Amino acid sequence: SEMTSQRRRREEEEVRAEMSESGAQLFARLEARRCLKDIEPRLFPGDGGPQHGEVVELYGSEGTGKTELLYHLLCRCVLPNAAGGLEADVVFVDTDYSLDMLRLVSIMESRLNSWMRENNEEACRSCLSRLLVVHCSSSSQLLLTLHFLENSFSSRPGLALLLIDSISAFYWPDRCEGGANLAKQEEKLSKCSELLGRLLRDYRITVFATCHAIRRSYSGPSSSSFSDPDRPYLCRAWQRLVIHRLLCSRQEAGNNMAATAGRRQVLTVHCTSSSSSGTKAHRSSSFYVTDGGVEFT
Amino acid sequence: MVLLRDGMCPGLDEGLVRGLRAADIKTVEDLVSSDMEELAQRCSVSYKALFAIRRVLLAQHAAFPVSGADLYEELLSSTAILSTGNPSLDKLLDSGLYTGEITELSGGPGSGKSQVCFGVAVHISHQLKQNVIYVDTTGGLTAGRLLQMLQAETSNAEEQMEALQRIRVFRLFDVFSLLDCLYGLCGGGLQRASVGGGSVKAVIVDSVSAVIAPLLGGKQNEGMSLMSQVAGVLKTMAKDFNVAALVTNHVTRSGGGGGEVQPGLGASWSHIPRTRVLLEKGGDVRRPGLRSATLIKSSRRPLLIKEEFDLKWWSRSKEEGGGAAAAASGKRKRDETDS
Repeated sequence: SEMTSQRRRREEEEVRAEMSESGAQLFARLEARRCLKDIEPRLFPGDGGPQHGEVVELYGSEGTGKTELLYHLLCRCVLPNAAGGLEADVVFVDTDYSLDMLRLVSIMESRLNSWMRENNEEACRSCLSRLLVVHCSSSSQLLLTLHFLENSFSSRPGLALLLIDSISAFYWPDRCEGGANLAKQEEKLSKCSELLGRLLRDYRITVFATCHAIRRSYSGPSSSSFSDPDRPYLCRAWQRLVIHRLLCSRQEAGNNMAATAGRRQVLTVHCTSSSSSGTKAHRSSSFYVTDGGVEFT
Repeated sequence: MVLLRDGMCPGLDEGLVRGLRAADIKTVEDLVSSDMEELAQRCSVSYKALFAIRRVLLAQHAAFPVSGADLYEELLSSTAILSTGNPSLDKLLDSGLYTGEITELSGGPGSGKSQVCFGVAVHISHQLKQNVIYVDTTGGLTAGRLLQMLQAETSNAEEQMEALQRIRVFRLFDVFSLLDCLYGLCGGGLQRASVGGGSVKAVIVDSVSAVIAPLLGGKQNEGMSLMSQVAGVLKTMAKDFNVAALVTNHVTRSGGGGGEVQPGLGASWSHIPRTRVLLEKGGDVRRPGLRSATLIKSSRRPLLIKEEFDLKWWSRSKEEGGGAAAAASGKRKRDETDS
């Protein structure tokens, strides 16, 4: 009878451990995760900004400032309130080894500098500890990693932002692997999108993802058969998730390259936000990139 | 896609693998994405055991998140900047080639891309005493040319030989050989090539467009996928082994022939290199070695800044070197007009 009572006690402990685990998970879900509506109001129409569980896609070709915008949003999140930040945790999913930590830190330091003169290193380190970086080298690994990150979301209620640079990194390898079957080509990204959708609903995080343009847009006559170069090309499961689409482009300053050398290149962002009722709101903004990061005009 | 095999993790025996396959669960991804309770019932195994297997497989195959603070510390201690040997080019590149990154040099025929690559290889092997991997896909590299450039740096024959030994050349002409070579380097080749005390610090691919451009265009996707693979292995190699990757690219004209000169390989390649430099001829007939380099992509310096340099004098010290250096550094055409 001593053995049975020991066994019963052990069973009770196990059940209690399971219950408290699910209790913590429940708490992490219901606890209001930091709303990022005010992350950068200059980009979004109206008083808009991404609500809980919304996805923002930054689309554009090389050199249009997408990654710089991500650094800008990242800094905005991890900096302390007194320095103009939101003190929120961020996960950065890097799919094409494009995260430049040295550049990110130099932006962070220049923003901290304008707030406090000394002890920059300590402040920087504490901001960086709010950032989790994970690198994926295939869409299969991306799927597994999103599953793995579910643990991070449930155990860290401070995690409010998920950045993906870029969501289009595996487009060509997936298309080639899928052969002639379009459904097979899009299968992996569709699965990632569906999982992402569930994580958004369950954990109410906000997602910003960059998508590289696959065709160069020429400023010439639009009689080419390539049609609109800014048309979304990723799978429909991803398109359904995207609520806000930011089209990034370079402002054409004439054909003379010499004229723009040395002068700051102005970059424009055109935001299209879809609401649940089907209407779309628009907003255009422009910025240029300085040593200290993005500066809006 | 990782297939489920018995013994992959504790608890995953042959019987369970067979049971899972019967339930249409063949890969780790399938298992991780399925409903654990339902699957446990179908395979008549305890929910707890299956959940534990899922947790272990996920920990084994998912990418592991790293704290930004730790990542930054690691980068600070491991990133190195390699001078190219040419002060003007160094200025453009913010001190030189950074390890962990891909730097691209694009230019038309005769613009001097290969000459620049030779100069970089010679400088790193002789001056910095580090090893260089040179992948030549155009057939333009000869040991004689490298020796000629080394003779302009030093007259000591032993030093010249040592430097030559630090440059490991791979000659290949198609994308599959290139991928084989790069995967081989990642899989131990870089460690084996670390000879004479120095480690491999730079990998030069001249040119990457020569093997990829013929595959692009048309309706097949394979070319684009192969390009992604080359990009992926170059980035992985640069990051994991702390080397600076320098690649060369051809140029095309935008707008289908009438516009300005831009690097080749299209939009999908354009965001792969961290830094991009466009090389053009100087346009002065009296100084045929003159070149101008324009920075067209950088995360550290303002765009479209230009630097000029003369291919004849790779490092400024040679400018002061005078006649002997001029004869030794040589070019393919003997039409120098010295002032």
